Amino acid sequence: MKVTLTRGDKIFLLIFFVVYAVVLIFEVPSVQLPEGIGERWIVDLIPSWGIMGRVNPMTVIMTWGIIVIVLGFTLPIARNFKVVPNRKQAFLEYILNYIYQSTQDMITQENLVRPVFSIAATLFMFIVVSNVLTAFPGVQIVPTSQGLKVSLFTDTWYAPTSDLNTNATYAVMVLILSHVFGIKAKGFKKWLKGWFEPTPLMFPLNLIGELAKPISHSLRLFGNIMGGGILVLIVSYLIKYAFLPVFLWGFFGVFVGIIQAMVFSLLAIAYISAQVEEG
Amino acid sequence: MSDLTMAEAIREGLKFLAAGVCMGIGAIGPGLGEGHIGAHAMDAIARQPELAGPIVGRMLLADAVAESTGLYSLVVALILLFVV
Repeated sequence: MKVTLTRGDKIFLLIFFVVYAVVLIFEVPSVQLPEGIGERWIVDLIPSWGIMGRVNPMTVIMTWGIIVIVLGFTLPIARNFKVVPNRKQAFLEYILNYIYQSTQDMITQENLVRPVFSIAATLFMFIVVSNVLTAFPGVQIVPTSQGLKVSLFTDTWYAPTSDLNTNATYAVMVLILSHVFGIKAKGFKKWLKGWFEPTPLMFPLNLIGELAKPISHSLRLFGNIMGGGILVLIVSYLIKYAFLPVFLWGFFGVFVGIIQAMVFSLLAIAYISAQVEEG
Repeated sequence: MSDLTMAEAIREGLKFLAAGVCMGIGAIGPGLGEGHIGAHAMDAIARQPELAGPIVGRMLLADAVAESTGLYSLVVALILLFVV
């Protein structure tokens, strides 16, 4: 691919960089470490329920926003599905085909491939949209000592996956679904016997092994997205928002985000396949 | 900052020290593991360059699994810094 710049493009870029540098020089003394790093806007809906009555409003709003984005992208394609795809449909088919291939590789029972594929594809599409949103400037609300601070397009979008509640929900859902599929595929007796293999002495270890799965599954995604966000904020402050944040957002939002979404859905398939396969 | 008692100051300092040590030691394991994965992926690509695509995909997947212990220490460090 060869990029050609016209004379007008070059003049525009030159003016852009000069304005950027001038603004930078005047802004450097006033750049401060943003308040409320790692803090969450939490509302006590039902105070008597303690921790169960609390709501994290940004997570709820952004979750619904992402559901609308995903449905708005996929529903029109699904409504008029063509043999000869247009660009959007080809893009979607490419992604779903990749997930379908990996599901087929890992799960040998023919009748279970389609339900497991729909779970993995749904998780992938939600998580990838939510992670990639952290690469774009957007709306973020954090609590500070003087009340809520609403940052409009001075910070990245708030990702629901940077909240451990979202990730833990999906990880526990995958754990329960994997056992449901295991009971369906092997029968209840064989599933129960699977806990006591190779000897009954191993039961505690099997139990801990199963309970550790959702913990590592959810903390991996949470650590990547949340840690990346905090790292970008602190490094951006250290170099006074000069040039680097764009690339950091690109790396942590797009690259890490897509890889972690892929890893999350592939691990979901792997956990289900570990329960389904005859041991 | 000036109105801290001695005990509170020591507590604050130890918090940051603990977060730093936690992150530093916790990064050794994932570093070694990802180094191994990368080295073997390079070996495999050198042997069969036509399989570079699938190998890189699986290498990234294995990398993400290998770094999970590092992320546990990151979460512990974040808890030490912001919650405790």
